[in-house]
Amino acid sequence: MSIGGSSRRRDESGVRFSRTFTVALFLISIVLVAFDRPQARSPALASLRAGITDLAAPVLDLVAAPVRGLSNIGPYWRNQAHLAEENADLRQRLNETRYWRDLALQLRDQREVYEQALRVESPATQNRIGAWTLGDPDGPFVQSRLIGAGTRQGVDSGDPVLNVYGLIGRVVETGNVSSRVLLLTDLNSRIPVMADRSNARAVLVGDNSDYPRLDFLTRNAGLEDGDRIVTSGDDGIMPRGLPVGQAQRDRQGRWRVRLYSDQAPVDFVWVFPFEPVRPPEPESLSDDQTPPVDTAANAADADSDAEPAPAGTAETSAGGEP
Amino acid sequence: MRSHVETRPPYGLMVWTVISLILSLAFYAAPLRIANGPDLMPMLPLMTLFIWSTVRPRFIPPIVIFIIGILNDVLTGGVLGVWALAYLVSLTIARSRDEDGPTREFGPVWIRFLVVLAIAIPVAWGAGSLAIGHPAPVRPLLIEGVASALMFPLLAVLFVRRRRTRGTFGS
Repeated sequence: MSIGGSSRRRDESGVRFSRTFTVALFLISIVLVAFDRPQARSPALASLRAGITDLAAPVLDLVAAPVRGLSNIGPYWRNQAHLAEENADLRQRLNETRYWRDLALQLRDQREVYEQALRVESPATQNRIGAWTLGDPDGPFVQSRLIGAGTRQGVDSGDPVLNVYGLIGRVVETGNVSSRVLLLTDLNSRIPVMADRSNARAVLVGDNSDYPRLDFLTRNAGLEDGDRIVTSGDDGIMPRGLPVGQAQRDRQGRWRVRLYSDQAPVDFVWVFPFEPVRPPEPESLSDDQTPPVDTAANAADADSDAEPAPAGTAETSAGGEP
Repeated sequence: MRSHVETRPPYGLMVWTVISLILSLAFYAAPLRIANGPDLMPMLPLMTLFIWSTVRPRFIPPIVIFIIGILNDVLTGGVLGVWALAYLVSLTIARSRDEDGPTREFGPVWIRFLVVLAIAIPVAWGAGSLAIGHPAPVRPLLIEGVASALMFPLLAVLFVRRRRTRGTFGS
């Protein structure tokens, strides 16, 4: 068996390319590696990447579509055999869910009343944006996903991304119709989290393993195996309470998180556009508007005249005197 | 007597080269893992570049290798320049060997591809590790390398069959 042909040999055995040009391309590659490091990525290169992924998105979507169909065939036929069983199970779950729905609505109403009384505004999450993943290379240098929604659909950098079970990462690059999601498992991923039960704070640090680490865990955290880990919202970029996973110790005794999102392949995801908490604007005081001496009366006046507190102060206000 | 292959540029083959390179990138980057199956995607862009640079070297000048490497980096979300550098280094070395005396037998070509892999993987690992600031995990690269080495004959057979059925390759 041979590759190529005799005529090719006659035609092309003498093909030579400019060595200077080749060396120049080597140097350009090295310069790009130096300037496109994840820690110091230039905005120009980031927008170039976003532009190229926008162009490639339709092609990737086209290539991925048959595989999506194939991967649904197995579950479809398996499900046919258990339809009656599954139907009964779903009815049961629906009944249970009705109770939780009523409870959730009741709690929402209560919360609205409390927020009104306390004059606080919770950071609002807008409607979620659904998107298919278009690219999922688990390379050695970065763990990310390319999704088919961008700024045109309302996706913004920093937005959290979830699959049906939990958080998978956050948006780090946005194009018009595509975005790149940095997974929680990536080396550069850092997400502030907390234990649902004990409120112990930590930072979820990706290390390219399937189970990200819990670093900077507070002393006497009281963490236990199986504790539910959710986002704490301490960074002001992500909302509080997004489901992340379960705490578990590894062989070295370090705390890690088994991600909820691992229960299913990351194929369809939701982006949750989130308006981050803005710090209060500094007041510009002129000479005749010197701040009054801090007295109890003034403090009381300030309390009663104050505008609704910004969302970032919600916890503080809620914890104080009503 | 000169055949028409030598006098007229084979535009059809050029188009096929471009399409195959684009498809290799798309298949490499697209989510093709079915359910929770193993992720065994070979380095399709490198395989395609290597085959074309063996069969039709003039279609694969260094700038094409560079562009494919950059697109590979962009589509996989990696650091720009890592795969461009790895492809350029490995394929340039392979070409310099080609000048010594090309062989078209499949066995030596496969061995040459293994050499290309053996160069490309450490270069990519080194450049990627420097870019991210610490040693990158080797396992994913090795898995991709082994998958590429094993699947190379399948891709090569497509080109060989095409040559056999149409006489001179692509003409």
